[in-house]
Amino acid sequence: MTEQGKIAEQVRMCAACPKMCRHVCPTFFAWRSDAPTPHGRALLLHQEITGLRNIDERGVEVLYQCLECSHCLTWCKPEIDIASLVENKRCDLVKSGRQPSGVNRLANFVKETHNPFGEKHSKRNDWLKTGSLNGPKIIYFSGCTAAYREKSIAQDTISILEYLGYSVAITPDEWCCGSPLFRTGDTATGLKQASHNVEVLNDINAEEIIVTCPGCYRALTKDYPENGFELDKPVQHISEFLNRLVDKLPQGDTNGSVTFHDPCHLGRHSGVYDAPRAVIERISGNPIVEMERNRENAMCCGNGAGLRTLFPEHAKMIGSERVRQALNINANCIVTSCPFCKEMLEAQSERRVAVFDLPEFVMQGIESRNVKTD
Amino acid sequence: MLDSNTRKKASDKLRKIVGSEYITMHETDRILNAHDAWPLSEAKIRAGEMLPLADFVVFPGSAEEISKVLVVANELKIPVTPVGGGAGTCGGTLPIYGGIQLDLKRLNKIGEIDHDSMLIRAQAGVVGIDLEEEVNRHGYTTGHTPTSLRASNIGGFIATRSGGSMSSLYGKIEDLTLGLQVVLPNGSIVETKAVPRHSVGPDLRQLFIGSEGTLGVITEATLRLFPKPEKRRFRSFSFPDVHSGIEAIRKIFRVGIIPSVARLYDPEDAALTFSMNFEFDEGHCMLLLAFDGATERVDLDDNESTRICIEEGGTNQGEGPSKRWWEHRYDMYYPTRLTTAGYAIGDTIDIVATYDKLENVYHSMKKDMEAEDAVVMSHFSHMYQNGGSIYMIFFTSQPDAETAWNTYKRIWDAGIAACHREGGTMSHQHGVGLSRSSYTEDELGSGFGVLKKIKDALDPNGIMNPGKLGLGVRG
Repeated sequence: MTEQGKIAEQVRMCAACPKMCRHVCPTFFAWRSDAPTPHGRALLLHQEITGLRNIDERGVEVLYQCLECSHCLTWCKPEIDIASLVENKRCDLVKSGRQPSGVNRLANFVKETHNPFGEKHSKRNDWLKTGSLNGPKIIYFSGCTAAYREKSIAQDTISILEYLGYSVAITPDEWCCGSPLFRTGDTATGLKQASHNVEVLNDINAEEIIVTCPGCYRALTKDYPENGFELDKPVQHISEFLNRLVDKLPQGDTNGSVTFHDPCHLGRHSGVYDAPRAVIERISGNPIVEMERNRENAMCCGNGAGLRTLFPEHAKMIGSERVRQALNINANCIVTSCPFCKEMLEAQSERRVAVFDLPEFVMQGIESRNVKTD
Repeated sequence: MLDSNTRKKASDKLRKIVGSEYITMHETDRILNAHDAWPLSEAKIRAGEMLPLADFVVFPGSAEEISKVLVVANELKIPVTPVGGGAGTCGGTLPIYGGIQLDLKRLNKIGEIDHDSMLIRAQAGVVGIDLEEEVNRHGYTTGHTPTSLRASNIGGFIATRSGGSMSSLYGKIEDLTLGLQVVLPNGSIVETKAVPRHSVGPDLRQLFIGSEGTLGVITEATLRLFPKPEKRRFRSFSFPDVHSGIEAIRKIFRVGIIPSVARLYDPEDAALTFSMNFEFDEGHCMLLLAFDGATERVDLDDNESTRICIEEGGTNQGEGPSKRWWEHRYDMYYPTRLTTAGYAIGDTIDIVATYDKLENVYHSMKKDMEAEDAVVMSHFSHMYQNGGSIYMIFFTSQPDAETAWNTYKRIWDAGIAACHREGGTMSHQHGVGLSRSSYTEDELGSGFGVLKKIKDALDPNGIMNPGKLGLGVRG
């Protein structure tokens, strides 16, 4: 069967499914309509493939009312990855210039400033402080959100890596990894970022590359090689890296219940579930209290694949629901391992629960031990 | 479809009621919100056909808004098709005459549990699984677990008189619903009090349970809860034929045992469902039982049921087939490559009959449906003291759409005719919708006139879900 035939078959099955995954779809939760749902998206694609009806402007909007979180895939017995099918369609839409204007704006920012926020590139990481030049050299690829919006994640990451005996290299030539572009269909602009970043990172002599953003992680480890851009050193997410060295992290003894929010790009898209949990448990000294929906079944925070850019109020509703799920189990603290997720969950927490990204949580553990030691 | 003048008037008025954000006339929205889980809808979608569309999809946020919408609809004589989860299997929510599709998904609030009375109030748009998970957190179950639980809504359960897979013990939704809030076609909001029993005239609540949106819009309900059972035990028996299996079930109920699950798979369905995972004699049926309750009680029921099954010629297959079915009960609901290929279509006629007629209904329906080019496999799915339901599952695959849809209709006609001839009733839990609408008068006989008079009194303009339940069919 041809690739097109396979896609048509998958779309056909999904379009006429009795909605077996809809109950976990975050955009169904936010809109309470059958339009922004997996089968809604599939029906649009199916009608186009069968020649019944072309995707109109509203159809384009529906295809961008998707977080590409792949939660539906967890509940799909025929294993239809509607997120990938949506992403492929977004690529076609961008090629034909039919994407929503918000996506254009985002792409233009990246083209002009190398970050999706339109912030000055010169300010990307000139503020980051590095210390020790001793120890094995590793590159920290901070990503845009930690560089501009969640700065403590970036700074804490460097501090932790140095605490563990590494010399951290950061480069002013780091550009956006391209993830927001890949996910919203602008592959061409995304690959320009890939090409630049690969050249810059391969030019640095270091043992490995550490990322804190799962969007960057997926881009560097999957999107880049799938498109012929190979990094010459291994890429590790901070959670995996810290788990490898977990014995060197301070053993905590904290009160209060800590839960973990699985980022979609790290969990469902990259299969990393255990590493962040092991690190958190080391630092907190207690088992994680899991939310009902966790690991493969974790709800998205609402901050992915351009949703917050295009539909901020609905994205926030999803973030609030995820916070409610943490409050349901009486969590005092949500730790995640993604600057994007952290930003959304913290904004929606309304101070009812503390929210940390993994490096921030680990740094707290290190600092509290240092206080005790000193 | 409405004329442009009426559409404009309605649009202006509806926007004022629900707000512009909650009404859509976009063709894309009308298409994506149009379809339910009727196998014919799904087959037509796959075949690249367009389903009937409403003029508007309206998402009200309260009973008060629904009341105002219905007043406008009555004034302009616009059809209104209420939709819950859109998970029905009979086409009951297809807006076949256009007008307003009244989507209740925004009514999704769950109230506090009344622990003393073991009750919970929930709005019509709450998804079944969300309610079940919420009460599970507090140690209860609703006892209502249809296969569509992840997709269907509370309002849809009640509107279609639905039944879960454990209805033998916990009852169907008509047994589980104590109170109702309904918006009548004239806009008045009616409450029926939540009481366990009463003696104040006919039970009005029951008038609306199963009314499929033809008499009003169900907006809220007070539902019964049960403590989660201390123990659920599974037991399975193979039987040489349908008769001995049915006899075993009948006798189990007769001695006062009420299993939560009692399902008997005929030889074809047993072979398809269980032979890949379990060893049992070719051509045999498979009985699945489950018992819920305190451990001592479950032990007693299990032992006594085992004695009866063995006496009736059954072979104990342990917990395996029954437990496996429970753990995989949603799997059959997913589409597969083969069942969605070409012009393949399958469906289930979920009839119900008393024990004296049940086997005759089964054999006659099977014979007559097979004569119409159907592959038929069945299980006796929801059993009670006095009889039970049979899932007459059929499948056909035809070379083109026209032949497929005609064959599908002929199988239905043949199956329902046989069911009625042998004294069965044409639906146990799926409802009537569109698939059975034309058979309703035959089914209800002299009672149909009563239903029609009630419809005419409550909905004189015939705006509510016309064409369903055999009511309001337009030329």
